[in-house]
Amino acid sequence: MGKKTAIIAEHHNGEISTVTYELLALAKGIQESEAGDICFFILGADTEKPAQTLSTRTGEPVHAVCIPGLAQYNGALYKKALSALFSRTPFDYILAPHSSSGMDYAPALSMALGGSCITGVKDVVRTDGALCFVRSLFGGKLSAKLTTDTGPLVLTLQPGALKAFSPEGKSQGPNQVSNQGTIERSVLDITDDNMVYAGTKASPSEGSDLARADVIVSGGRGIRDAQNYNHIEMLARLFPRSATGGSRPICDYKWIPYSKQVGITGTTVSPKLYIACGISGAPQHVEGMKNAGFIVAVNTDPDAPVFQIADVCIVEDLMEFIPFFIETFKQKRRKKDERNDLGESFLA
Amino acid sequence: MKILVCVKQVMEGESPVRVHDSGKWINPCASARFEMNPFDTYAVEEALQIRENVPGTLVHAVTVGPESSRDTLRRALGMGADEAVHILDTGTGYRPPFLTASWIAAYAGGKGYDLILTGIMSADEMNGQTGPMIAQSLSIPCASAVLYEKPGPDRTHISIEREIEGGARDMFEVKLPCVLTLQTGINAPRYPSLSMVLRARKKEITVIPAGVFVDQEPGLRLHSLYSPQKQRKGILLKGTMEEKAKQLMDILAQKALLT
Repeated sequence: MGKKTAIIAEHHNGEISTVTYELLALAKGIQESEAGDICFFILGADTEKPAQTLSTRTGEPVHAVCIPGLAQYNGALYKKALSALFSRTPFDYILAPHSSSGMDYAPALSMALGGSCITGVKDVVRTDGALCFVRSLFGGKLSAKLTTDTGPLVLTLQPGALKAFSPEGKSQGPNQVSNQGTIERSVLDITDDNMVYAGTKASPSEGSDLARADVIVSGGRGIRDAQNYNHIEMLARLFPRSATGGSRPICDYKWIPYSKQVGITGTTVSPKLYIACGISGAPQHVEGMKNAGFIVAVNTDPDAPVFQIADVCIVEDLMEFIPFFIETFKQKRRKKDERNDLGESFLA
Repeated sequence: MKILVCVKQVMEGESPVRVHDSGKWINPCASARFEMNPFDTYAVEEALQIRENVPGTLVHAVTVGPESSRDTLRRALGMGADEAVHILDTGTGYRPPFLTASWIAAYAGGKGYDLILTGIMSADEMNGQTGPMIAQSLSIPCASAVLYEKPGPDRTHISIEREIEGGARDMFEVKLPCVLTLQTGINAPRYPSLSMVLRARKKEITVIPAGVFVDQEPGLRLHSLYSPQKQRKGILLKGTMEEKAKQLMDILAQKALLT
């Protein structure tokens, strides 16, 4: 009998979130070391469509748990339902996304089941005979390998850390595996008056121009003061189709509006060029910009985690470097213009 | 209302972190500076703002850590907390959030706290587990990533908004007592005034050795710590600032990103 792994699927408006397929990649990683079964669990008021999608695309068994009162995420209901499910049918590993919901229910779930919890997992490795889970510490400056002897282990996976699972056999058409997974359906009619959902407010980032820009210049705490954000704006003006953004802290300080926030809780962007100025590179920010085509990072701290994902690393103070860079660029352009002017007059 | 704020001492973000020779924990260098976990400053501030609006509110601060972490409680008192409790842990290795949460819950249980507040995570370990685990230990509800709270007039519920992906907010009515972990930006944490700092110095801090709590298995073991590898083959520009500016311009021109 192998180790059993449960994956708690994340879904929004009937669509399966990408991180759910990344969770399957993590489960397959665990399986390589400790062979065993994988099963998806999907909770919600309407689970039929996402359950079908999951079973078709992955070929793994899916347990769809219909909870009529769970049209939106509700931590109290999730914890109640999941601890009941996993107390009845024990699993060795329970995988959840490190999302606003996963990080909300996972720690409590591990405790309810008498197990352990590791949040923000990036990878699974076998070291010295132990199955270890890798996660970031100190804003990404260090990585840790953690292991446990106390099961079950509840994990949350950092979105984007692993490549999403995609079926290898293409014979059934794109995004389909040859054998559909079985779907088990159950209805759980639970309520909880500890937490009552009262609606959702739209994000301030909605309709922001960040997602459409070719070039984004972003500032972080390194700008040191609200008025210094003009350095970011001046640098952005050198580029056509550019926009300015920022990390969460400078939005929290009210130096720039939240609509300019790049990151998981702001806008996720993938411009051709991203210039991170004075941004340390916390996971929440990096996840929102690491798919940029080309990344330039300017930071005084040579250990800043942003340098781990940058194509060009510049250890300088942005307050000196940006004005200097702009001046150098203008000089070059002036020279070019002069040459062009000379050329034209000569031809004339 | 009676509020407990959980605070943690962390190394300042700019302090260099080096792995201890054992590979089992960090070795703070001599120049390392410590501060209250920036995420927790929002929790202290929020508690103080509730006290300003709800007469008769008491704000207590609690921390788990070594002797030196008492400075963080002084900071909380300096900001305006009424009392402080130090759960003294003399261990030097890795302490999983499960233990921290179990001890805080063991202390807080039965003391009549209506609200337990903490930051969404700590800046050093970034687990985000302590708050939710305290709630589970005490069998009370918990909401994480909270960006707005308002206790109801009858003090049986609290209205909250929690942040979800993309910055939207889900609204909930949560039954009291409960735990809230606060998202950054919910308020602007105050700096302690000099008179408050002086007052805080004179305040007595209750110290409870962690050993008094039921001995529990930590569950997790730290196998090793290491510096992560680069994910992209990034080049580090060298030379004077002038040379770096020229190099960057050439690279951007080559990629047709700046013409």
